[in-house]
Amino acid sequence: MTAPASRLRQIGWIAVLSLCTGLFAVLSVQAQSVHSAVSLAERQIIALERDTAMLETEFQARANQRQLADWNSVEFGYEAPRADQYIDSERQLASLGLPALPGAPDPIRIARADVVEAADRQRPMVSPLSGEPVTFASARRASDAGAVFTDAFGEFLIDASPLRSGEALALSTEATR
Amino acid sequence: MNAFALEGSAIRGRGGAGSARFMGEPDMRGTSQTGRTGLLHLRALLLLGARQRLLIVLALFVGVATIMLVRTAYLGFVGAAPGETTLTQALLPPRGEITDRNGAPLARTHPAYALSFNPQAMEDEGSPLVGEPAAVAAQLRAIFPDLKEKDILAAFASKRRTYIRRRILPEEANRVYELGEVALEVPRERDRHYPQGALAAHILGFVREGANGSLVGRLGMEEVLEERLSDPARRAEPTALSIDLRVQGALEDELGRGMLATDAKGAAGIVLDVDTGEVLALASLPQFDPNRPDAQSSPHVFNRATNGTYELGSTFKPITMAAAIDAGLVRDLSAEWDAGPLAMSGRTFRDYKPKGKTLNIAEALAYSSNVVTMRIADALGPERLRPVLMDLGMNARAEIELPARGKPQWPAMGSRGEWSRLTNMTVSYGHGIAVTPLHLANAYAAIVNGGIYRPATLMKVEPGGIEPGRRVFKASTSSRMRQLLRMIAIYGTGRSADATGFRVGGKTGSAEKAVSGGYARTALISSFAAAFPMDKPRYVVVTVLDEPRGTIASSYQRTAAWNAAPIAGRLIPRIGPMLGVRPDERRDVDISDLAFLIEGRR
Repeated sequence: MTAPASRLRQIGWIAVLSLCTGLFAVLSVQAQSVHSAVSLAERQIIALERDTAMLETEFQARANQRQLADWNSVEFGYEAPRADQYIDSERQLASLGLPALPGAPDPIRIARADVVEAADRQRPMVSPLSGEPVTFASARRASDAGAVFTDAFGEFLIDASPLRSGEALALSTEATR
Repeated sequence: MNAFALEGSAIRGRGGAGSARFMGEPDMRGTSQTGRTGLLHLRALLLLGARQRLLIVLALFVGVATIMLVRTAYLGFVGAAPGETTLTQALLPPRGEITDRNGAPLARTHPAYALSFNPQAMEDEGSPLVGEPAAVAAQLRAIFPDLKEKDILAAFASKRRTYIRRRILPEEANRVYELGEVALEVPRERDRHYPQGALAAHILGFVREGANGSLVGRLGMEEVLEERLSDPARRAEPTALSIDLRVQGALEDELGRGMLATDAKGAAGIVLDVDTGEVLALASLPQFDPNRPDAQSSPHVFNRATNGTYELGSTFKPITMAAAIDAGLVRDLSAEWDAGPLAMSGRTFRDYKPKGKTLNIAEALAYSSNVVTMRIADALGPERLRPVLMDLGMNARAEIELPARGKPQWPAMGSRGEWSRLTNMTVSYGHGIAVTPLHLANAYAAIVNGGIYRPATLMKVEPGGIEPGRRVFKASTSSRMRQLLRMIAIYGTGRSADATGFRVGGKTGSAEKAVSGGYARTALISSFAAAFPMDKPRYVVVTVLDEPRGTIASSYQRTAAWNAAPIAGRLIPRIGPMLGVRPDERRDVDISDLAFLIEGRR
């Protein structure tokens, strides 16, 4: 029984050794693959840094001081702020809101426009492609069972789909047609 | 592989047996069956040869396969090829970046492509081009429509490597590759780019291509900082100059406008921090474009602000006044000085526009009286005026990093360089001495900052790294001069520079240009030296115009009050808020004790 046992042990050692060697090989290859991924990323970083420097320089060149001065003199006509345009403190800023004389109208006036009526005059939303009116799933009346089902299905689509919700809604409107 | 090896050894074994048989053959040949044995021998011989050849081929294959396996294993375990550059090495610019004081890039290096023609590309006697030269030229013109066919053909005809185009875009380089012409080379080069174009060109300088494609700085800070910009240990960090891009832009814009409006030959301008000596902006017009490869042959490389020396005229009067007050000669500013004609060495000196028989000190400055200044200088004497000008550095090249620094024309009359009485008197109002605009800016900084002279610098000064400087004037003199300079801008020739709320004080100067054997009547150098805000001076502004003419914009006048001073008047409101000087109409230097000197008479 000793001879087969020692042989078994030998085979066991060999198996362990080959397993370790195999694992080591796998690990090394993996380390190398990570290393090459890092060097690839580094190369990408270099390329991006160069791109950034290039774009930054281009931006600086296009927006150089002379160009800005030319634009200002031709298009905008901005001038340096005058002395009387500066405000010393918050108190001076607040004083601009005071009436000039007792009984004079308040210099700060607030205008308000009523937007309730405007909501009624809203045009119905139309599809930009076909020009047909689009009804949102939530706005439709749930009168019949089919509509209820489509609604629920549409919402399910919205939740489950990786598509944007707007597209999912459009899908559900088409499904009802 | 084992099978191969086994078979190999088997063959070898058989071969060995064969050869043994062969050795024993001669005695067999001798007895009988010579023909048959001979054939057998031949067969064995041929077989042996074939086996040997097979063996050699096999060994070759095994060897190659082993090498490949070993290499694969090496690459798999040890990895990457040698000579790989690290990230920091790859990101290190070939030449350091130059920025302004706020970090905006002024000079950068990029990889770039050029297009050149190499007649030796084919390495034979035939034509270096595959296609017809005219056809290739037409294809090139399809990529670069602005190239001239004549120039391309001239390049094709040359015997040496010739540039067809110095800079091309990467996509253009790809299209050139697609033509399939080996002789059209697209070498990768380093491109030094100045994003602001001609702005601050005289400060930055430019680069030339040196040996093995390296870039060598010329002329400006590119030359001064050569060592630092090319040092691998330090060039990763950008080098900050003292100039402020926005201020430089405003200065060049206003100087350029003033120069065009008065039809002047050239202009120079400086904005200097009075407390640190930092140059915020320095311009010389007309400029050159450092981006052009032929920058060095531009006629505008000459720097008027640090290299051009001019007799700056009346802007010297405040220096004389400050020297007189400092020496205790002028104690009472209300004392009346004779303003009548002054006869001296056979010449009679008169004021340009006489303002009365006598003038006090404030009036003499505000109305720019030559004769009163001369009489004060005469009373002061050369032994007291000359050391002040030397302390202000007027007898040596201006102190700044730039290599282009003009040597002042310093009058040296006697054996030990002492001045005659007349020299002393003409120097007092800025004639007979020619200095650079930078000298003047440095002197004005010393007058207004409390009396300390500091050399100008183009390198950003860290807080705490300020030069101690040397004292030229007493602090009391400096505060008197602030009042007097402010009064010139309120009542006198500097009124056109009095920007509301910025408390500007400064002095105009108009001097006829010195030509051989005298002065040119019509060619003037008009200058304006100012500081703001006068209640606590922070910056000196000097503007100089070279040969301005009387135009409609300057009301047909050629003197500084009509051309150089208005430039400062427009410039200061533009740069003040950027430099942290808030315009305020309720603050000013207190001139109430002196105002009566001028207002009393008006």
